[in-house]
Amino acid sequence: MCQVACSLAHTGSVNPQRSRIRVFVGEEVCLPVIAGPYTEAACNSKENMVINGLEVDGCVVCRASCPVKSAFKEPDTGIPLKCDFCGDPPDPECVKWCDPDALTLVED
Amino acid sequence: MFGWKGKILRIDLSTGNRSIEDLSPDLCRKFIGGRGAGLKLMVDEVDPRVDPLGTQNKLIFATGPLTGTGVPAGGRFVVVSKSPLSNCIANPCCGGYFGPNLKFAGYDVLILEGQSPSPVYLYIRDDVVELRPADHLWGKLSTDTEHALRKELGDSLDDWELNDLSVVCIGPAGENLVRFACIMADGGRAAGRSGLGAVMGSKNLKAIVAGGTGQVDVADVQKYQQAVMDFLEEGRTNRVLRTRRMYGTWSLPGRANKSGTQATRNFQEGYSKAFEWYEDPNNIRDHIRVRDEACFGCPFACSKRSRIKDPDYPWTTKGPEHESMALLGSNCGFGDLDDICRANYLCNELGMDTITAGATISCAMEMFESGFLPEKDLGFPMGFGNTEAMFALLKKTAVREDFGEILAEGGQFVAERYGHPELFMGVKGMGMPAWHPQGVEIIGLQYATNNVGGSHTKATLPFYDGRRDPADHIKWTKKDQDYVALVDSAILCWIIYHGPLWGEKLQVWLNVVTGLDFGSEELALIGEKIWNMERLFNMKAGLTAKDDALPRRMTHEPRVKGQVVHMDRMLPEYYALRGWDEKGVPKPDKLEELGLTEGGADNP
Repeated sequence: MCQVACSLAHTGSVNPQRSRIRVFVGEEVCLPVIAGPYTEAACNSKENMVINGLEVDGCVVCRASCPVKSAFKEPDTGIPLKCDFCGDPPDPECVKWCDPDALTLVED
Repeated sequence: MFGWKGKILRIDLSTGNRSIEDLSPDLCRKFIGGRGAGLKLMVDEVDPRVDPLGTQNKLIFATGPLTGTGVPAGGRFVVVSKSPLSNCIANPCCGGYFGPNLKFAGYDVLILEGQSPSPVYLYIRDDVVELRPADHLWGKLSTDTEHALRKELGDSLDDWELNDLSVVCIGPAGENLVRFACIMADGGRAAGRSGLGAVMGSKNLKAIVAGGTGQVDVADVQKYQQAVMDFLEEGRTNRVLRTRRMYGTWSLPGRANKSGTQATRNFQEGYSKAFEWYEDPNNIRDHIRVRDEACFGCPFACSKRSRIKDPDYPWTTKGPEHESMALLGSNCGFGDLDDICRANYLCNELGMDTITAGATISCAMEMFESGFLPEKDLGFPMGFGNTEAMFALLKKTAVREDFGEILAEGGQFVAERYGHPELFMGVKGMGMPAWHPQGVEIIGLQYATNNVGGSHTKATLPFYDGRRDPADHIKWTKKDQDYVALVDSAILCWIIYHGPLWGEKLQVWLNVVTGLDFGSEELALIGEKIWNMERLFNMKAGLTAKDDALPRRMTHEPRVKGQVVHMDRMLPEYYALRGWDEKGVPKPDKLEELGLTEGGADNP
């Protein structure tokens, strides 16, 4: 639902590929990841990580929009996507649409 | 168009030819999508008398305008074809992500024709549509098939791209044309009923992979966002929906059993002592649940992924659902949850409909215990509760080995072969679902008259306010069968929209998403038209009024609450209400009202 909410709010259409939040679906857990800073170069090396029992490629948990990863960029132009918390003050659409309350807005 | 993509992807598996056609706005207005659109295409393109496992049958994966928009509980797709089990129209629905992913790839409907000369899988990603060799996948179980495909595709796609691809596949049962084989999707979901896995297998199509970077549009974004917010709020406080979220269908076995309507021992009884443990659904949840899972765009996450601690059954899967637990459990004379899970895993991995598989096995169990089915044919003893025999037979059925060759033809065939056709608890060849008709009489009429055969998801059980008075039940059944035809066309999830959310929500979603102005009378007529078109398709395929019947046990042996199902009274009243003659054939004035030709085609 969050991918629907975000892409709808930011692009006017439903398109998970253009969402600033993506959910990686593992067998036993799901990982939401929000789009972060753009970087020109991919990492030199990366490690797999284990999160709540789910082993994932380092790219899966990384928020960056980078040349070698398909997520967090416009599918046609490659322009990077970045989560802006839906404005200032933050009012994220994804949090509102998440029924299991998996997403919460936390002030730092 | 909003909602729809306006595109049909047509694949001729015999030649490998792929073409993209327009989905006409006229068809969209008249049949909406999903079940309705699939039906229209079948009626226009397939002679109802074709062999369902032959090259002339078509297999249609259809979405609706709501699919992929994120409408709550709107993530399902429908598979439409002619069934090798019932010889009737088939339209099983399935959840997960395949429907929306087909839309993101750019297509509303996928039509598969002909027969591939060798095993293939279909890969769809935006404009890339390819038939790729699947010899190395042939013979694999469902989970192994999906894993192997994802590993193979991982050579050219990264983890995020793989994450957003859906895989539907058949298991060995579909490959071996088991008549109740199903189509599996997204890790344990199924388009279960009617044996369409065998149709896919007959076309040598092992799997379909779909995904894309496209978008789905709604007419008025702000209005739509508000409608979703309102709906989510309602969903948070509705007791029935909260139960759905907590337990999925696990709240039902106990409920059905306690009320004496749980199919037990080939429908000989409505109550199973072994099922008392299920009366607290937390027992199930604590024992096997891994996590909740949602279909695309659904806040209810009613699916439960499960696992048992048995190294011979290493997979997790979705379910078992209430129907599976009943037909594979109480109906086969046992209640141990781990054993039910084993049977469910086998059906999922081998790719078979749990309901008809359970009904077929339980029929064999009764015939064995009654002395009609000799042990020498089975190869081993086989009575109610004999789980080892059951697991062995499920495996043999999937590969048509030994007695599995007979079972693979379906329970009706087995019962007739051994001289007791009345002992298969099914309608039109399809195993009856878990709710014992003698417990709630109208359910019997629904099973008997649903166009696909013995199904519980083409009308609504009368367990909700406004529907409890038996005097209204026949009227309700007609109204509901028409309504569900719309639900399956829009597409919305029947589980969520047949109960407390029955009614005008469907119209609201359709109009908010498409920007059109579907009227409530217009929609009622579309639903009725779909129903009648299916009826006429079936009749041209050879169906007659005598097929609108329940097994003799239901109408003549009072086994539950001292009741029988009075089909002799209900059926004529139902026919009359539908505007059909005493043979169950739609009368000319009804055809005219619905804009149908006598042959059952759309009269433009």
